Amino acid sequence: MSEAHYFFPPASAYALNRFLFALKSDATARARYAEDAEATMREGGLDEVTRAALSTFDRDRLVGLGAHPYLVFMAQVRLAMDGKPETFEYF
Amino acid sequence: MPLVAAAALPHTPQLLVRPPTEDRGLVLRVHAALGEVKRRLGAARPDAIVLIGGDHIEGFFLNAVPALAVYVGARAAGEFGRYRYAFDVHEPLARAVIEQGIEAGFDLTYSQDVALDYAFYVPLHFAMPEPAVPIVPLYVNVYLPPQPTPARCHAWGRALRAIVDRRSERVALVASGGLSHFPGTDRYGSPDFDFDRALLAALAEGRGAETARLTGDELDKAGNVELRTWITLLGALGDARAEVLAYEPSWHHGNAVVTWPV
Repeated sequence: MSEAHYFFPPASAYALNRFLFALKSDATARARYAEDAEATMREGGLDEVTRAALSTFDRDRLVGLGAHPYLVFMAQVRLAMDGKPETFEYF
Repeated sequence: MPLVAAAALPHTPQLLVRPPTEDRGLVLRVHAALGEVKRRLGAARPDAIVLIGGDHIEGFFLNAVPALAVYVGARAAGEFGRYRYAFDVHEPLARAVIEQGIEAGFDLTYSQDVALDYAFYVPLHFAMPEPAVPIVPLYVNVYLPPQPTPARCHAWGRALRAIVDRRSERVALVASGGLSHFPGTDRYGSPDFDFDRALLAALAEGRGAETARLTGDELDKAGNVELRTWITLLGALGDARAEVLAYEPSWHHGNAVVTWPV
């Protein structure tokens, strides 16, 4: 059987998933990340490999590291909504 | 008075924030179907809306992942961009659900402090009657495996119906979710619309109980992990025949708006 689309989040990815959860759900965390991504990721306890994957929002690599696919997706959406609010509500 | 209305509604946030990736006509048709549900809910004069939703890792993170939960706070509030929502909770009904649900053998979690997820406020944005009525948010874990089995969701729905039938309030029961979509995965652009259409045909014939025999693996493969909220509702509805008000498959989502006579 192939891996499920939504799989059990491995404990090794807890810091990464916690970081993505903050980006998704906490406007203050997003603002800090936009201001200084590297420092925010270090404070979040993310290792170098994870920081590299997150800096480009490389979904396949992040999911490979154990990130929950939905958290990757919606963290990116919320960052985009903050950065380009004019691209929403177009009709 | 027991159940006075039943519906299953989509909650994809694109319905709310309308990004340029979406087909305007399709979104407006879904809005229109949700408007019809709003009209019917208003006509049913419910005292409360019991809303069964799947948390998108918003209210509950990995510090605690309840399979089935009841929100029993005074108010339920959440936000998405500039959209901010707060709803009164029908505390006596919520308490009855948690207390009698536990008595019926379902080891439910309850919370008085979780952020409301868009699975709850997107449907209510479009379908809450005016004036607004209090809600009871019921949670089914859909995105953090291992999730409750479809059989368990169906059984919980049956127990929920028995609880509602003993109450004096007029209750509307609404499921939020689906249909097929795969957010965050490489299947995002190719939902399983065939699964959705077969499902809706079965529901229109009153064969909702068949969903209790689905497996978690089948739901994951079909992009329908959220169907657990519908299956819970179907447990409460028995063999009632669904009326499909809309099925609008977009490039990423099978938007279904369905009601049942009660």
